[in-house]
Amino acid sequence: MPKRRDILAIVLIVLPWTLLITVWHQSAIAPLLAIRKACHHLVKEIFIIPERLAVRHHRLSDDGVEGKREAGGQAQDSKEYCASDKDIVEVVRTEYVYTRPPPWSDVLPTIHIITPTYSRPVQKAELTRLANTFLHVPNLHWILVEDSQRRTPLVTRLLRETGLNYTHLNVETPRNYKLRGETRDPRIPRGTMQRNLALRWLRETFNANSSQAGIVYFADDDNTYSLELFEEMRSTRKVSVWPVAFVGGLRYESPKVNAAGKVYGWKTVFDPHRPFAIDMAGFAINLRLILFKPQAYFKLRGVKGGYQESSLLRELVTLNDLEPKAANCTKILVWHTRTEKPVLTTVFGLGPAEEGNS
Amino acid sequence: MATRMKLKLKTVFVLYFMVSLLGLVYALMQLGQRCDCSEHDLPKDRTISRLRGELHRLQEQMRKSDATKQPQKQPAKPTVFVITPTYARLVQKAELTRLSQTFLHVPQLHWIVVEDSPHKTPLVTDLLVKSGLTYTHLHMLTAKDRKLQEGDPSWLKPRGVEQRNEGLRWLREDRRAQPGGDNQQGVVYFADDDNTYSLQIFEEMRSTQRVSVWPVGLVGGMKYERPVVEGGKVVRFHTGWRPSRPFPMDMAGFAVSLKLVLANPEACFDGEAPMGFLESSFLQGLVTMDELEPKADNCSKVLVWHTRTEKPKMKREEALQAQGLGSDRAVEV
Repeated sequence: MPKRRDILAIVLIVLPWTLLITVWHQSAIAPLLAIRKACHHLVKEIFIIPERLAVRHHRLSDDGVEGKREAGGQAQDSKEYCASDKDIVEVVRTEYVYTRPPPWSDVLPTIHIITPTYSRPVQKAELTRLANTFLHVPNLHWILVEDSQRRTPLVTRLLRETGLNYTHLNVETPRNYKLRGETRDPRIPRGTMQRNLALRWLRETFNANSSQAGIVYFADDDNTYSLELFEEMRSTRKVSVWPVAFVGGLRYESPKVNAAGKVYGWKTVFDPHRPFAIDMAGFAINLRLILFKPQAYFKLRGVKGGYQESSLLRELVTLNDLEPKAANCTKILVWHTRTEKPVLTTVFGLGPAEEGNS
Repeated sequence: MATRMKLKLKTVFVLYFMVSLLGLVYALMQLGQRCDCSEHDLPKDRTISRLRGELHRLQEQMRKSDATKQPQKQPAKPTVFVITPTYARLVQKAELTRLSQTFLHVPQLHWIVVEDSPHKTPLVTDLLVKSGLTYTHLHMLTAKDRKLQEGDPSWLKPRGVEQRNEGLRWLREDRRAQPGGDNQQGVVYFADDDNTYSLQIFEEMRSTQRVSVWPVGLVGGMKYERPVVEGGKVVRFHTGWRPSRPFPMDMAGFAVSLKLVLANPEACFDGEAPMGFLESSFLQGLVTMDELEPKADNCSKVLVWHTRTEKPKMKREEALQAQGLGSDRAVEV
């Protein structure tokens, strides 16, 4: 029928054109979408580094030995490659800002570092280099507890000059006057009363119901800490653990982690059957846990050597709840270094330094 | 008449159909190729420039917040070149880690690390790369007979001599190639990897014209050793051991200006010098006591301490290793 033929004719005319138009349209849109995605990657890949941690830097030149990083005060140097052919976008940000300490962030949990300290010749040096480390860590609160009758001017001045966010406490471990000299009571492990005082201060200062996220870490003043350690511990939910070097007479002691990422034992030689065979520097506790269990303290007396950490941890958490950090406890991020006692002779009779100078 | 017209219409239709088909085929072929036409790059460029604008806006915001905390751009400070000899032992990584954490606070610092080793070790290489500092990594092996053996007391043989000399050699070579020649600003400081440095000492030494000096804590068997200053000049040294030495100071107690180092290309540390004369062997050729510049508040403040780190006890580790059960060597300590 002519009508049918007409219809057929119309269809045959219209069909190729519609096909053409749709396909053409699609081909124009698709690459545009691809570029959009690539440039979104561009914005995401900008390492907006919060001032301090300029740990990422790209080698801009290829000399064999020298690594370069632009010093602070210079303009931001950002190179952008947004090739139209490839979806490779790279923004290199090489700026370092010497503000200390890093600005407080509203997002990061605060790390409360509890350091017991006592007067001896190397004290100022130890606290100085410890402060130099802490000045790199954002949202750090240093709780320094002196083993003394009253707060010493040396420590007071040092803390003030660092610019760190700190709390300065003191409590004296009772001296055992029966023994020769001024040795402290050997039955109380060193630093215990000071750490307990800090825990009490935290419980008095922070409300269990408040939303302030915090992590508690016990840092002795002669150990060495890498900056990575503090970022690892920030994500602690209950208690996190990691290896510590130079403890227990070994290269390092570490928790044993199974394939499921749970701690099931301890890789130590000295009494691996302790409930928590770990050094003071090998764990961190979430502040909430400290506040929820206000009775948990380090046991003061009757603690066997090496059981101090267990005396606190067993009241807070079970082995199953431990969170292994440092790449499932395979990296060393803290070293239990000890500083030699300097030989100070008085043979030559040269006067002792004023306290503020040494 | 009607059929001819019909025929004409038919051919028209057929022609039309053929043309469209050809056009479609052509268009389909075009899709496989890249389009170089500029009119298609325009939307791409527009997106890119828009995103770039956003990026710059964010950077401006960050810069503004930085500027409120940071003073205006300072003129270039003289660079502090810190020469650190180091050698492999258990505490090496820990020492270098906390040293780098101190140095990271000091602007315009160039760390020259010289390993006592026949080649650069991966431990130090990785540490330096991750440190974020400006550094130079060198190595120089101490001759066997000059090296301290296990069990030797630390004072038996001088340590770090070849390494410090290598650092000086590299510095002289590198700076010679720089523009400005011998008029370059800079200070050279010898920092051992187990000492403790406050941040103020680096600012004190930056203004060194020839050789500047200051007290060092916990050295020479005393709470501190220091130059005694009268009338702004060093007249003698307060030290507990052999005060008759030309320069009875510790390595950490002085800094030399780069100009002086470059002007005296032969000045280096003498490994054959008697105990305690190492510093003097270097400084003798450079400066007289009269020319020394006292820093740290006329040498009344201790800003650097000669701390030493204990050797960690490895009895249990050694026992395990004897049984073949030593700790995993792949874990770097």
